[in-house]
Amino acid sequence: MNTCSKCGNQQIIIQKKHSGQSLCQECFIESINEKVLKDTRKYKLLEKGDKVLMALSGGKDSVVALHILNLLREKNIIDIVAVTIDEGIKGYREKGIEIAKGNTRTLGIEHRVVSFKEYFGRTLDEMMGQDGTRPQGDTEPRHACTYCGVFRRWILNRVAQEEGATKIATGHNLDDETQSILMNYLEGNINNLIRIGPKSESRDERFTVKIKPLREIPEKEIGLYAIAADLNVHLAGCPYVGESFRREIGGFIKELSENHPTIMYSTLRGFDKIKSILKKELTPKGNTGECRRCGEPSAGELCKACSFLEGWE
Amino acid sequence: MQVKVIFGEENLTEDVPEDYTIKELLKKLEIPSETVVVKKNEAIVIEEELIQEGDTLEIIKVIFGG
Repeated sequence: MNTCSKCGNQQIIIQKKHSGQSLCQECFIESINEKVLKDTRKYKLLEKGDKVLMALSGGKDSVVALHILNLLREKNIIDIVAVTIDEGIKGYREKGIEIAKGNTRTLGIEHRVVSFKEYFGRTLDEMMGQDGTRPQGDTEPRHACTYCGVFRRWILNRVAQEEGATKIATGHNLDDETQSILMNYLEGNINNLIRIGPKSESRDERFTVKIKPLREIPEKEIGLYAIAADLNVHLAGCPYVGESFRREIGGFIKELSENHPTIMYSTLRGFDKIKSILKKELTPKGNTGECRRCGEPSAGELCKACSFLEGWE
Repeated sequence: MQVKVIFGEENLTEDVPEDYTIKELLKKLEIPSETVVVKKNEAIVIEEELIQEGDTLEIIKVIFGG
């Protein structure tokens, strides 16, 4: 009979193919908590006294990250303020916001809901136009995820400044990270490739440091944690997610993982080993300036968010 | 033998043979096992778990892609 590798309980909820370990509900939750907190120390993601801005969508990844980081808040090691960004996706985002509010209320964590409408004057639905394909006036068709990513990053950095946060935490998981490594390598996007890591390392102090505490936890295990710990999470897919290169790569890695269960870990480990050399050799020279429109740090005259906004005016 | 299956809004009754596993049921229903967590009679189980007559199986989708 298969029993829990830690306590011998016969009721196991996971058999880890990559390590051969079997775990019961209680030991699984404990092992994830320990792994995340260990990685937080190993990569020096947090320091005592940090004020963490948790990017909380209400989805499983960010809710799990919030609950685990809260273990450090309870010990008075860090402070947390959560922010939920309402992109303005009708019929989808409302539920996530309610769930995010519920989680922060339960934990007694300060929570802000901010929107694209309030910062940029339009919702994502309005940006994408009636037919949902592209913003009016934009000649180059782009996926909604491109706009959403750019505007969300802008808001996160701005809210972090407003809140005096010293770190921004996101719920990125092992699947997200290996997809990013493979995508950027295959696309030859070395600038983005060398930015991947557990902690952002911008030389510009105006960018708040971003951390990914769940970076070494597979997405499936985060889903299992959310159910096992009985967390209230928003389980739904964004209506704008269509076919994308990331999705193709995600499918490819999942397929490979069936017969090669360690493939995501080895992709990450291999990349982490060569990253410092790549970074040293290939980091673009030059200082970051300031966006003439919003004042945020930017390599060009306009930051990416403002270049979209100006294009639509 | 018959089992009750709950998947999202759907409530199904499925006929499955003896010694059938969760993994085989997911395959029959064409649900990728790496995207779901399964509860048997309200307790989380692994996909190698055997199904028994009268079981209630809740299939919870946790990965949506994107």
